[in-house]
Amino acid sequence: MSYYDIDSILTDAEKIPCTFQLDVPELGYLDNNPGQTLKAGARVALPLWLAELLAITSAGGSDDQTKSYVAFDLPPALRNDVVQALKAEPLAVPLRDQSAHFYSLATHMMDLSEEPELSTTLRKTFVKRAAEIALHARKLGGGAGKGDEGSNLGVGGAGEEFLRGLDEWERRLFRKAHDGTKAGKEWMEKIKKY
Amino acid sequence: MDIDDILREVDPTLHEVPQEKRDLQDLTRAWVAERSAPELLNWPSGELFERINDNIKRQIERVEEMTGDMDPKTNFALIVIQTELERFKYLVRSYLRARLAKIDRHALHYLSTDELRARLSDMELAYATRHQALLHNHYLSSFLSSFPPALQNLNDTAGNIAMVDLPDLESAVFIRLLADSMVSGRGVDTDNTFEFQESDIVILRWSDAKPLIESGRAELV
Amino acid sequence: MALPLPPGLTQPEVAFLAEMELVTIVPRQRLESIALLSGSTPPLRPPHRADLPLWLALLLKKQRRANIVPPPWLHPTSLSEIITRETKDNPDAFSDPPPPISRAHPSQPGRARRLAESEAGLSPPFVPSCTAEAPAGYLPYHWLEVAEALLAHAGDDMPVAAGEVRSLLRDLVEVRAAKMRSSTGTLEMFGGGLTSLRGVGAMELAESRGFVLGVVDGVRKLGASAEATRREEEEAGGGQGASDDDESDEDMGL
Repeated sequence: MSYYDIDSILTDAEKIPCTFQLDVPELGYLDNNPGQTLKAGARVALPLWLAELLAITSAGGSDDQTKSYVAFDLPPALRNDVVQALKAEPLAVPLRDQSAHFYSLATHMMDLSEEPELSTTLRKTFVKRAAEIALHARKLGGGAGKGDEGSNLGVGGAGEEFLRGLDEWERRLFRKAHDGTKAGKEWMEKIKKY
Repeated sequence: MDIDDILREVDPTLHEVPQEKRDLQDLTRAWVAERSAPELLNWPSGELFERINDNIKRQIERVEEMTGDMDPKTNFALIVIQTELERFKYLVRSYLRARLAKIDRHALHYLSTDELRARLSDMELAYATRHQALLHNHYLSSFLSSFPPALQNLNDTAGNIAMVDLPDLESAVFIRLLADSMVSGRGVDTDNTFEFQESDIVILRWSDAKPLIESGRAELV
Repeated sequence: MALPLPPGLTQPEVAFLAEMELVTIVPRQRLESIALLSGSTPPLRPPHRADLPLWLALLLKKQRRANIVPPPWLHPTSLSEIITRETKDNPDAFSDPPPPISRAHPSQPGRARRLAESEAGLSPPFVPSCTAEAPAGYLPYHWLEVAEALLAHAGDDMPVAAGEVRSLLRDLVEVRAAKMRSSTGTLEMFGGGLTSLRGVGAMELAESRGFVLGVVDGVRKLGASAEATRREEEEAGGGQGASDDDESDEDMGL
């Protein structure tokens, strides 16, 4: 994650569910109790950058019971039924509805806690969806030939649905594939004029 | 490491590759490499650039002389010379611009250690230093000086993220093998080692490709 | 001022590179040797053939001072054979690149040896693969660029109607483009570190570079944490690394 990268900054702004492990005075307003102490056990959604900080920082104290302020869970975008749906039908899940920064978010979460199954599933998902993206990009870039393999690329319909559901990483992939095809076509045209 | 010297010892009648052709190949390879690698590569050794620049200058002078001479016979030769000259100039310019782009993007990084600074030519070093200084002054006068002093640094590393941007050295690249070689590539689940043949094209991480490129066993494509 | 392009050569840059490939011409007029930056051109004495870089051959052709000899691999028979090989024999990988051109050694008759170029560490476009001596049935690295340039500017030098060659080329482009796309399906599925694209062409790389590398980098980032864990475990557990040579072939995407 680089310092100035917009994607990274936006990802860190996503909220994830946190559970406070200690009583914290004066933060009651986070739980709709303004002026009160925030009780241990309260669940609040905090932006990732803050949740990370609070989860790492221990609340001080000299005994061996130093707890961190907060324990966090995976964001709703990465909950189990989404992951299972991706395992079953990766092309049918509109990732963007879960989060525009789906993969970026997942990567950051996996940095913070071990999630081997998630890692494998997402990698497979990413590759499968990428193949589909390439097909669409080629069609839309005008590179379609007579032998294009049949897939569910409807005119509009299923195709548009799929493209609408791409997250940021996938959109960038699409743009790269599309630009490549387009540049190829442009070069072919230009070759006639010398 | 000059292969011509070794081969010359072994077989003196060997049909040698002339210096100009080698220079063009080296320049071309340097250009492709610089356009493809995620980080700034070393400035070419062996005076390659100085030689090419001198040759270009001399050729330009020759063109000027020939242009004065209106003999139709030399006219076509002039066109050929000028065409080739433009091609050389394009290569050189594109190469330098590719390097400048990388220097611009990660200036603080390339200026940060002696080893990295050694990759830049003298002119590039002067440019990078001056450019960075200008930029810094601009930031200071625009907004930086109104930050609390502790937050004015452009290169601190508090909070787990370095402010100085690094190029991603693990990016994937395409290489072509120039000789049969064992290639090791690191991956997520396994690391592979495989014997590839000359002219094979392989995708692997830049950090794995770098030793092959530097030793001349492969080139970027 | 600085170059705004993403890493990797674009199609026009690849075409520029391809123009350095040597092709064979038949001169129609005499031309003395010209001292160029890249060496002196051979003197042109019709009807003796000569090998020149494509950019110069095209210049001569445009001025009607020469005809260009299409390389043997561009002949329709050769192209059809390659298409068959690409679709039937080798549906998952690209067909092999051409073997280097060998020549008889002048001082040792009967003993052919590879050109000094390939021994001296040269590579396309500085190793001839588009001259009249190039073998048929193999696509060299710059096949598409050279083929299209010759069709556009030396169509009348083709052995058959340019249209026939062009249509075969289109088929080839399609077949290989599909292979390029499916290469990302096999590659990195389980995170192996190397993928071979033996036989791929320069333009094909240029077109899919951004996408393919994007997929590879994406998989790497998604697996970064898993990879770090694996390395820590290997280091701690006295590194009993995977038996590499056996697995590498299936991870190859070959």
